[in-house]
Amino acid sequence: MKDLTTVVKSNVKIAENIFMITLTLPESAGRIKGGQFVNLSTGDGAHLLRRPLGVMKVEGNDVSVCYQLKGEGTVKLSQAKAGDKLKILLPLGNGFDLEGKKNIAVIGGGVGIFPLIATIREHCADKKFYSYIGFRNKNAVCLTDELEKSEKLTIVTDDGGFGAKGNAVEAYLNDCDKPEPDLIIACGPPVMLKVLKQKLSERGIKTPCYVSLEERMGCGIGACLVCVCKKTDGENARVCKDGPVFNIEEVEL
Amino acid sequence: MANLSVNICGVAFKNPLIAASGTFGFGREYNEIYDISQIGGISTKGMTLQPRLGNPVPRIAEGSGVILNAVGLQNPGVDHFIKYDLPFLKEKGIVIVANVAGKSFDEYGEICAKLNGLVDFVELNISCPNVKAGGMAFGIKPESIEKVTRVAKSSLSKTPLMVKLSPNVESIPVNAQAAERGGADCVSLINTLTGMVIDIERRRPLIANNTGGVSGAGIKPIAVRMVYEAAHAVSIPVIGMGGITCGKDVIEFMMAGAKAVQVGTANFTNANAMPEIIAQTNGWLDAHGIKDINEIIDTVRLNG
Repeated sequence: MKDLTTVVKSNVKIAENIFMITLTLPESAGRIKGGQFVNLSTGDGAHLLRRPLGVMKVEGNDVSVCYQLKGEGTVKLSQAKAGDKLKILLPLGNGFDLEGKKNIAVIGGGVGIFPLIATIREHCADKKFYSYIGFRNKNAVCLTDELEKSEKLTIVTDDGGFGAKGNAVEAYLNDCDKPEPDLIIACGPPVMLKVLKQKLSERGIKTPCYVSLEERMGCGIGACLVCVCKKTDGENARVCKDGPVFNIEEVEL
Repeated sequence: MANLSVNICGVAFKNPLIAASGTFGFGREYNEIYDISQIGGISTKGMTLQPRLGNPVPRIAEGSGVILNAVGLQNPGVDHFIKYDLPFLKEKGIVIVANVAGKSFDEYGEICAKLNGLVDFVELNISCPNVKAGGMAFGIKPESIEKVTRVAKSSLSKTPLMVKLSPNVESIPVNAQAAERGGADCVSLINTLTGMVIDIERRRPLIANNTGGVSGAGIKPIAVRMVYEAAHAVSIPVIGMGGITCGKDVIEFMMAGAKAVQVGTANFTNANAMPEIIAQTNGWLDAHGIKDINEIIDTVRLNG
């Protein structure tokens, strides 16, 4: 875990309201697992909090993360130009553990796809990914070239404007041709993860399932206890430090 | 290299920078980024007798130059701290300030008794704006400040008592004097200012608790004024905090009368903030030919 000053290599729009920023680190940050995230400054003194963003791609000392324009901070970030310097703290969180797994079902929605892409990129040489990805509409579809590293890719949209009409959870459950996965990994809006948990339970699906959660964060390293989620045992877990990846059975969604 | 060490209530700090309560946990996480033995001290996450789960999320929001938080004193309880975190902090050789909160006068006494002789200071959190019972209820009126201080002090025969003052009050000098009368060995200020941020699209406050404590660079002028007022109202030492982000801010608070400072929100903006601020503070002193940081304490002179 290091707090470094990075140089912006590129910062481009990849879909409606979605940007991808690539940052060159001054030194290696060590291994970055799919599902881990960075805390990135917006480059603006008025915004004191860094933005926690899931890593999408690592190539040498270049790290790419994607973000949605949500408020003044991300708008400011979208104005960063090649050569600008931004502070980054990384790698943060636990990431997806795929040890011993071969066939992995990937369920992603909207901006939740980025940590899933990092995971697919990391392991696609020796594992097979069956990906079910939902977007709001065709303007939100992005990074299909990365998603195509999956053994099988199904893209759906809420309005049917790209791929079939539907959502990622339904697309997964309705695919009867897929081999039985030994792991499900998922990231997306809270409602998607909630529905996934309900459906897995209703259908008695026992396949282990890991979900990556999102929450507003302070420090990003587990010290401030701002970004907690409720566990099924009644305790709190820190999304930034104990997660963001949790076994779906361990957390309330 | 100037002398940065300060001495407060007989406790030696290698430098005057203390990590502020609630921003630094019990030190373990920041110690993964840098060796925290470099800092002067740590004020722990606010602790209660029993573990607490705290408030619902979201617990944090931003304003221009500030943040708001409403964690609601989530903590593992004082017994867990004594068993699990205290040995780790002792090894680090930094000044340990145990920040504590109670729901009643008796609870403040009980928690202080558990910590007596184990830590370097106990800091009374009587000004947490984010919990309904206790916390701020004790920190508004001078009468209750004096009483809760007296109760805590009576349980602390071996450990100096620091009383953390709220800015959400009528008079800082009156409240600082109330803490001094109650037996406080020093006071720290300011805790956060109560604020609200509204998501205008949803017409709802951004924080689940509706209101939160405002901290960060934007509150610094208010904090400096209040530190000046407190330092000139009492004869016990004053520890200043509120929006410190760089070495010049440390100098400013100390010129206003603080003998040490606490750094909180800056840790979120820059995980290496405290070591960097220590170096900047030394740099300023060197550049001004000042050999000892103690020479600048309480040296501001008011205009005509």
